[in-house]
Amino acid sequence: MRPADKATSLSRLAAIYDSIGIYLVGLLLLIAGIFVSDEFLTPKNLMSILNAVSLLGIAAAGMAFVTYSGNMADLSIPSIMAFSGIISVAALPLGLAPALVLGVSAGMLIGAMNGFVVGRFNANPILWTLAVAFFMEGFMRFVWSNNQVYPDIEPGTAGAAFINIFRLSIGPVPLIVAVMVLMFVICHLVLTRTRFGIESKLAGSSKAAARTTGINVPRVVLMDFLAAAFFASIAGIFITSMNKLGVFYLGKGYDFKSVTAVVIGGMMLSGGRGNMPGVFGGVLVIGFLANIMTFIGINTFQQNIATGAIFIIVVGLHQYQLRKRGKDYA
Amino acid sequence: MISDSDNIGIALKMKGVSKRYPGTLAVDSVDFEARVGEVHALMGENGAGKSTLMKILAGSFNDYTGSIFIGQKKADLHSPASARTHGIGMIYQELSLARPISIAENLLIGRLPRKYGFWLDRKAMVRQASSLCDRVGLCLDPLRTIEEISHHQSQLVEIAKVLGSNPCILVMDEPTSALSREEVGRLFKIIRQLKNRGITIIYISHHLAEVFEIADRVTIMRDGKIIDTKTINEVTPPMVVQMMVGQAIDEFYVQRRPNISDIVLDVHNLTRKGFFHNVSFHARRGEILGVAGLTGAGRTEMVRSMCGLDPIDSGTIEVAGKQLRQHSYSVAMKHGMLYLSEDRKTDGLFLRLSVKQNMVSAIIDRHTRCGIYSSRHENAKTTELIRRLDIITSSASADVSNLSGGNQQKVLLGKWIAADPTILVLDEPSRGVDIKAKMKIHKAIIELADNGRAIVLISSDLPELVGLSDRVVVMRDGHLISEMQKDRLSEESVLLAMNGELG
Repeated sequence: MRPADKATSLSRLAAIYDSIGIYLVGLLLLIAGIFVSDEFLTPKNLMSILNAVSLLGIAAAGMAFVTYSGNMADLSIPSIMAFSGIISVAALPLGLAPALVLGVSAGMLIGAMNGFVVGRFNANPILWTLAVAFFMEGFMRFVWSNNQVYPDIEPGTAGAAFINIFRLSIGPVPLIVAVMVLMFVICHLVLTRTRFGIESKLAGSSKAAARTTGINVPRVVLMDFLAAAFFASIAGIFITSMNKLGVFYLGKGYDFKSVTAVVIGGMMLSGGRGNMPGVFGGVLVIGFLANIMTFIGINTFQQNIATGAIFIIVVGLHQYQLRKRGKDYA
Repeated sequence: MISDSDNIGIALKMKGVSKRYPGTLAVDSVDFEARVGEVHALMGENGAGKSTLMKILAGSFNDYTGSIFIGQKKADLHSPASARTHGIGMIYQELSLARPISIAENLLIGRLPRKYGFWLDRKAMVRQASSLCDRVGLCLDPLRTIEEISHHQSQLVEIAKVLGSNPCILVMDEPTSALSREEVGRLFKIIRQLKNRGITIIYISHHLAEVFEIADRVTIMRDGKIIDTKTINEVTPPMVVQMMVGQAIDEFYVQRRPNISDIVLDVHNLTRKGFFHNVSFHARRGEILGVAGLTGAGRTEMVRSMCGLDPIDSGTIEVAGKQLRQHSYSVAMKHGMLYLSEDRKTDGLFLRLSVKQNMVSAIIDRHTRCGIYSSRHENAKTTELIRRLDIITSSASADVSNLSGGNQQKVLLGKWIAADPTILVLDEPSRGVDIKAKMKIHKAIIELADNGRAIVLISSDLPELVGLSDRVVVMRDGHLISEMQKDRLSEESVLLAMNGELG
């Protein structure tokens, strides 16, 4: 028997968790929710959970590309969200469609810069995107003189349509929930069925091996950061529409929350492992948890403590598993 | 004359020392002795057991058998610390220095002088470091960092560091592989000084010329056994080579009748300054072209640059009559020139992915239409390769890191066979692999050649290189110095050519 076959119960647990675990956790929370409140398992409450996590879901879908390709995390996601929102609002006089396109383009410009620097020059992704986030906050506060940017919301204007984006529904399903689900379906197909997805997995598993296999690693990394920025920009437009204003701090907290969703969804920070359904599960679990904790009467700060603790436990479990199998950065 | 009963003057005596690895007896009841104040060369092919024997001496194993005497006393060398207290110092090919910190700190690591029990005593540190440097003739400011000094100088720092623990036996494993001619001369001067001070030096090297220049005696190992120990005046280079090679095991290599046709790879005046210069050669369809050379001769550097993985300064590469216009690996791959990396662990395999994912990783492009990847071929391709290469794995979806070294190496080869190369560059294709896997790999290489591929083979395993190659080009110090046809190929002739001793 090889050492890897002799997995201890803990690392076997971790392996099972990686394949289906997150949905098991989701199911457990669902059952727990029933005991906590009668209102928990109503369609209305479930839809409101989905609605509440959809911003996070869209951002996390983008973050997943960065994690999957072995670049750990894009910490500039909050600033991309804020920036695309501000640019959209500022461009509203040109009409709704141009404003949205400009907003998303502005966000992707940051993604292109991140991807180029990390891919071509092997910059540390965490430090680089942290620096970009810091720079962008200063930039937005400087250019807009530390002010919030309000759209003109007279009925019939592009501004009114813009703040309506977050509030639209397709039948009983809010638009943002539909967008999130659609995004996850597309992302899943991209990761499993396209060359870009397969090459991201290879680059995430070992950049050096990917290079000698003939994969253009800088280009793959660039595209992964572009994907992250694209989804962050979409989330940014929704959050700006929700708040009816654009301002530098709007995406605050979505960096860590989306990494948490990605990691508890079974993607390893070392790259190359996990899948999009898992990340979607991670997003749902975070939604269930927050909802249940609200029912019990746990406040936001305590909820943050809980989310942080879960992150630490899951990452710890991953590390333990990798060490047991002796292949961490092997 | 020193008789057997007279132990005075014997610094080290090993009696019936053996070390077993899973599956092989790496050192097989070896009797070895070294005298006080001699330079004793230890020679043998890769895998002969030299390094294992010296690792035993360094206390790397706690499960060797037999007895070792240092001076007159029996010593148990079961840990590096006990080896050090018995006065054994080791200098490996890879230096053990921390590059960003100063020479002085490197030299005195673990015993830095202190003031008042806590503060670093810089003056004392510089003084002690300087005196250590003096012993190896190094006049450098001890406060400079290792990064700032040359490789040769850092090698001397390494020696000074080992001398700091006052060894009576100093083992040097291939100490000159990264040094220039003059630097080797300077190193030899220091070795002679150490010798005059009564230090015993065990010198491991593949360089015949160096051994004949510096050694007093030479011991030859083969297949884990000592073949003989001779005074250097008693032997000639061809005699030593003969003893290293032994009886060639011809039946191991299948005699084949190569079907060699037109030139498919033509390399002209390839140069990367400081690594290799004006290298020209060609390879034909159906031919296995061996590239021979000592460590540091520039073989790997040359083929990596040829494949576009590393830069070149000048020169041209023609594949199947077409000159490669752009210098990049993806261009080389498009022309069908593939490179099997010498190190499967760092840049060969995706260790955390499955056998299947590794096998198909090089043919993603081929199965992509408009960006959409079709995985339909994967299972059939993988099953075929697993059967063809006899890969032992629980399933195609098992992580490749769970496979044994030999099977990992087969997966790596399978990945490139799947990509259907025109020219396949193999860098150490069977390094660290057991004999059965090796035979399987050789069979696959021969099959590729027989199917009209050109194979460029780098191997430090001489029997492999000689047994497989139809023709061998020899590199030395970054230059291609000679070419040998099949009828002239033998381990002796290649070994002599690698050492620049051409008849």
